[in-house]
Amino acid sequence: MATMICIDNSEWMRNGDYTPSRLQAQADAINLICGAKTQSNPENTVGLLTMAGKGVRVLVTPTSDLGKILACMHGLDIGGEMNLTAGIQVAQLALKHRQNKKQQQRIIVFAGSPINYDKKTLEAIGRKLKKSSVALDVVDFGESEDGKPEKLTALVAAVNNNDNSHIVPVPPGSNALSDVLISTPIFTGDGEGGSGFAAAAAAAAAGGMSGFDFGVDPNIDPELALALRISMEEERARQEAAAKKAAEDAAKGEKGTEQASSSNDATMTEADNTSAIATDDKRHNLTEDEAALLEQALAMSMDGGKAKSVDIADADMPEATAEDPELAYALQMSVQEGVKDSASESEMSKVLEDPSFVSSIINSDISSMATIDCF
Amino acid sequence: MSSSVIPRGQVDLVDFVDWSGVECLNQIGKNPIANALKQGYRDDDGLHLESDADEQLLIYIPFTQVVKLHSAVITGPEEEGPRTVKLFANKEHMGFSNVNDPPSDSFNISADNLKGKPVTLKYVKFQNVRSLTIFIEDNQGGGDVTKLQKISLYGTTVDTTNMKDLKKIEDH
Repeated sequence: MATMICIDNSEWMRNGDYTPSRLQAQADAINLICGAKTQSNPENTVGLLTMAGKGVRVLVTPTSDLGKILACMHGLDIGGEMNLTAGIQVAQLALKHRQNKKQQQRIIVFAGSPINYDKKTLEAIGRKLKKSSVALDVVDFGESEDGKPEKLTALVAAVNNNDNSHIVPVPPGSNALSDVLISTPIFTGDGEGGSGFAAAAAAAAAGGMSGFDFGVDPNIDPELALALRISMEEERARQEAAAKKAAEDAAKGEKGTEQASSSNDATMTEADNTSAIATDDKRHNLTEDEAALLEQALAMSMDGGKAKSVDIADADMPEATAEDPELAYALQMSVQEGVKDSASESEMSKVLEDPSFVSSIINSDISSMATIDCF
Repeated sequence: MSSSVIPRGQVDLVDFVDWSGVECLNQIGKNPIANALKQGYRDDDGLHLESDADEQLLIYIPFTQVVKLHSAVITGPEEEGPRTVKLFANKEHMGFSNVNDPPSDSFNISADNLKGKPVTLKYVKFQNVRSLTIFIEDNQGGGDVTKLQKISLYGTTVDTTNMKDLKKIEDH
């Protein structure tokens, strides 16, 4: 299965009616979709293109390299108007040139701004897709004026062949775009076992909102729960370290952030220099529940610690220590910080002055973060 | 089905079709290419190949060995049967975007052809055929739906052509 995802990066995406902004909501959803597709079948490929800005632009042609796909999601420009028909046509062309011609073709369109084309034009485009055996999923969010839902429904109906194409309307609200999509055929369709991932992802995403730490993960998938918990601890420790460093140094740019979060071993040296990541920048690149955790972590480090952080750290230290002595050290530091106040701050700075220690935290964190991204 | 006049020395290539690779773009799910190509199905008047989104069809037929094509029989109903046909030898992964490339052969199906009269192909163009792509551009009536009853291809295989073994095609 080869998929091209068409991103709406028009001016309308600045709107915050979808948390945290329409563009970021799209990015979160797309990250999840890419992970789901590449995980359900290693031969699946996904590509990305943007439909607005200066014109339709292909960010990456269909590839199974998840890291490459996610890296492209960073630094997207917002502006201009989305060109739906051109976007779909370019997507079709990109699919046509896929390496494995035996793969089924699918286009996923995020349509969050008004559509200038009339229903007939869209139906003609739809028929072209059907002729060439390309399936289409449309996420209808944002504006609903000018008969946008009817136009998109007609488009999907023209492509639809034996229920292979779907339209998912998503009204604005407190539910994240990705949460709404997880239970739709966009994730569960294709019959490639996407539903298994959807269940785990739903549990993980719900973890940020529900009373459980990670939804019902311990019941469904204990290894996943353990991995998430360890990774959260590492993340929390790292964020505290990063927050301290950010207070001392000037913020580095977005590029540094991008490399730290999604690069592999090859770029470790650059990760060294970007240890002073501004937490604000970092927030943009995390999923919503990771952002919530980050807020929590920062709140904890600012306040000088509450009993809660000590408990969690204590509970997880044995497992973490077994895996990574430096991580254990970092956890120790954060626990101590919960107990003392200014004394711990100077300890932290001393610790951070050791660049090799910082880089090893980031090393271990990046590998676990990369793991998280793949889920 | 009335008997077709097959030239001496040719065989029905249906036995050499690589079924795992046969594809047809724009066919409607319930009336697929097998209805027109497979033995038994193609002679069943109740089964036919039908187009979906519009009147065009793109049929890809790979062979299990290299063949020479001599002639073809393409039948269908009077109104919805195919009219303009283009053949492409050994072109893989064609799509509707490159059907305007120069074909190996092209012809119009006449009313007689629709009833079973074979179309003789440009033999010299089909001496070394690994796969055949058939593009049905439009139909007799000009409507949105094209229907095909039967596609039969006649020729010989390249390496195992043994004139003594060739039998005259019996009446179907």
